[in-house]
Amino acid sequence: MRRAQLVAATLLLVTRAAAQQNKDTGTITVVIGAEPTTPIPTLSSGKANVDVGNILFLPLAWLGPKLNTTDEKSFVPALARRWTRPDPTTLVFELDPRAKWHDGVPVTSADVVWSLNRARDSAISKTYARRLRDISSVAADGPGRVIVRFRQPYAEQMYDAVYHVPPLPAHLLDTIPPDRLESSSFVTHPVGNGPYRWGKLDPGQKLELVSVPDFFLGRPKLERVVFLIARGAEAQLNLLLDGSADAFEAAVLARQITSIVEQPNLRILTNPWLSVSYLLFNRTAYGDRTKPHPILADRDVRRALVMGLDRARLVRAAFGPYGAEANGPMGQASWIRRIAPKQLPYDPARARALLRTRGWRDLDGDGVLEKNGVSLTLRLAYPGSNIPRVALAEPIQQMWKGLGVQIELSRLDGPIWAERRGKGEFDIDFSQVNLDPSPSGLVQSWSCSGVGASNVAQICNPEFDRALGNAVRATTNVNVLWRDALAALQADAPAAFVFTPTQTVVVHTRYRNVIVPADMPWAQLWRWSVDPAKRLPRDGR
Amino acid sequence: MIGWLVRRVLQAAVTFAAVTILLFVMMRLAPGDPLQRLTEDRPMAPADVARLRRLYGLDQPISTQLGTFAAAAVQGDFGTSIEYRPVAVADLVASRIGASLLLGLAVLLVNLTLGVWLGVVQARRRGSAIDRWLTRLALASYATPSFWLALMLVSFFAIKWRLLPAGQMTDPLLPSDANPLTKALDVARHLVLPTITLSVVTIAATMRYQRTAMLEVLRLDYVRAARARGLSERQVIWRHAWRNALFPILTLFGLWLPLLVSGSVFVEQIFNWPGLGSLAYAAIAARDYPVLMATTMLVSAAVLLGGVLTDLAHLGLDPRTRQA
Repeated sequence: MRRAQLVAATLLLVTRAAAQQNKDTGTITVVIGAEPTTPIPTLSSGKANVDVGNILFLPLAWLGPKLNTTDEKSFVPALARRWTRPDPTTLVFELDPRAKWHDGVPVTSADVVWSLNRARDSAISKTYARRLRDISSVAADGPGRVIVRFRQPYAEQMYDAVYHVPPLPAHLLDTIPPDRLESSSFVTHPVGNGPYRWGKLDPGQKLELVSVPDFFLGRPKLERVVFLIARGAEAQLNLLLDGSADAFEAAVLARQITSIVEQPNLRILTNPWLSVSYLLFNRTAYGDRTKPHPILADRDVRRALVMGLDRARLVRAAFGPYGAEANGPMGQASWIRRIAPKQLPYDPARARALLRTRGWRDLDGDGVLEKNGVSLTLRLAYPGSNIPRVALAEPIQQMWKGLGVQIELSRLDGPIWAERRGKGEFDIDFSQVNLDPSPSGLVQSWSCSGVGASNVAQICNPEFDRALGNAVRATTNVNVLWRDALAALQADAPAAFVFTPTQTVVVHTRYRNVIVPADMPWAQLWRWSVDPAKRLPRDGR
Repeated sequence: MIGWLVRRVLQAAVTFAAVTILLFVMMRLAPGDPLQRLTEDRPMAPADVARLRRLYGLDQPISTQLGTFAAAAVQGDFGTSIEYRPVAVADLVASRIGASLLLGLAVLLVNLTLGVWLGVVQARRRGSAIDRWLTRLALASYATPSFWLALMLVSFFAIKWRLLPAGQMTDPLLPSDANPLTKALDVARHLVLPTITLSVVTIAATMRYQRTAMLEVLRLDYVRAARARGLSERQVIWRHAWRNALFPILTLFGLWLPLLVSGSVFVEQIFNWPGLGSLAYAAIAARDYPVLMATTMLVSAAVLLGGVLTDLAHLGLDPRTRQA
């Protein structure tokens, strides 16, 4: 009897030890660049808020890995377990009945209807009202079904319905006046429906999220997610290198990669990204939007400038293998990049010839071209806080010098740069945008309807607008129409599209099943686990 | 004495009001739009930017903005941060001031103990090899850029040897229910590198001031008399001479009082120290006017308070000043 008890106890101990050894739970510390003070969908701005909000709040469906915004089948179920299309202007979503808010209340169609209708109200937010302008109504059909109707058929209906506005808990918010929501206690202690709930924010230091054990899509293996707040690029990298942090996502320059590669417990994952940088040519005179730009209003001058830039060399110098040459106003991850026509090639001889045909000549032998007494001198404005743009400004100046174009560099403090950009006080602006996965966002920055708003260079090309309108509204031949639109844009040379950085995610080697979508880097952390053989004391017992 | 104090405080209050108005106007006149920045990387409808402009009163003339700000500020309401929206500025400052005070006090402590002691040692051994070497070291440390030193310390102590953390104020994974001693030790570990960085740069001034003051005092007759009475050298130095050599140091600490609240902007930034310095740095970069006003007003108040406290200390320690 005693022997049997001994054997049983030994077996129990061995089993427990084996279970301990196979444990794949743990923690993660992620470095972010700002304090997430408003991680609430539709209220938040800034990457830190959006990244944290994407963990706390689930959308109806996630975009598929290729970020294709027009292919309904590629979307991945989240709050909605399935969707159907009764007619070309209606989508019906069936909510997953297991989904719950972090206060235990089930997620219902009332939440989805309230959230989408709130976002569509232009009195609350013009930005969201414009994004959702093609939705004509949102209605509940019982507690588990939502019917979204659209004004017209178009390819991105699903994307518009699920992507911009993850549902918020109506039962907690519908009594708060819209203008008070932003200052309500919900913002400082959000109640979401995602795999992690709000833990504690230590101002200036960290935000802790705690796993939801009964998360309906599966129990998260990482039980604590700590976001370390570090503003400077140097401080962010140091936290990773000294072992305080486990993960970090950024556009990394070639010289920064060396210090990461030297760390045996860190690995680098790369993804195409949605960010793109370009040299935007102002169509109107510096600071005077009533007059055309004396130099850049000429399309051939713009085309010559594009051809005078060796983009491949610039990208190699700044990013090494962690960046790509841009071929249009979209990032690497945008699905239209695959179908976009090539930008004008690097051809300095042709660029010089083109400038000559437009009457630009170096009459006084100073290396700078002139025409009618006007020197081909342009001011290039860029924010001094952006390391890649700072690194590339001088090489760009040198390349254009080879054409006989004199570039005066204006390295500006961020807010001054933004202010001048908004007022059109620039000749060439070194811009960078983080785009949504949808190419329809191009309307705001590059079409006539964006003039006076995001289209700071006052670009208005009716031919491009027509092609863009056709592409945005298309339901068939989508790729061909987008290709036509991009070709029309590039022919006009509104900008020299320079680089699109690669999303570089540095992660500790102990993590497994690491999934990092380009648009929501930390939204799938709940799927990650820890290799039992590599667990650290901080992963818990 | 009381009359003097009232006059001195009134002077400080008037100066504070003038500085505040000047700061407010200068900030608003400086180029850079805090709201335009929000549209930097993501399109935002102009109407939404205009709504925020109205919300922060930035669409009003500067005089109106100043009036509104002053009326709220006297009640302790500094408005809402633009960068950390919707957090109230008062809450933001309150959440950061502790970290800055801790760092500032640690630096002052190093200066008060090590800096003063080294200055006295130099004075006692004037012209010796120790004096010469300490002078060279003091000059070298004075000339060392703090950001460079910070980066070097991080490179070696945090990244290469992994002896100390590279940043933050606490271990991010320290359980919230850890015992107070563990928490205190954790903060102390994080405090080491920023304190060394700031102390190395500031200690030189303390040493030089203390050395000069001590040399002057050591020449005086009462010190000679104390020695003649057979007192030990330690008693002569620390009981008799040092007290009278403290005045320049008191003045210096009065000037350094703002360090207690502001920390050092760059050092806090490099070490990711969650104090007012890093808050001010972010506010400058974002043109977060409400936060910038609150932090600069706090530093102004600390400067003026430092002046008043120094004068008070002089009054307390030196009877001659009281008679004057």
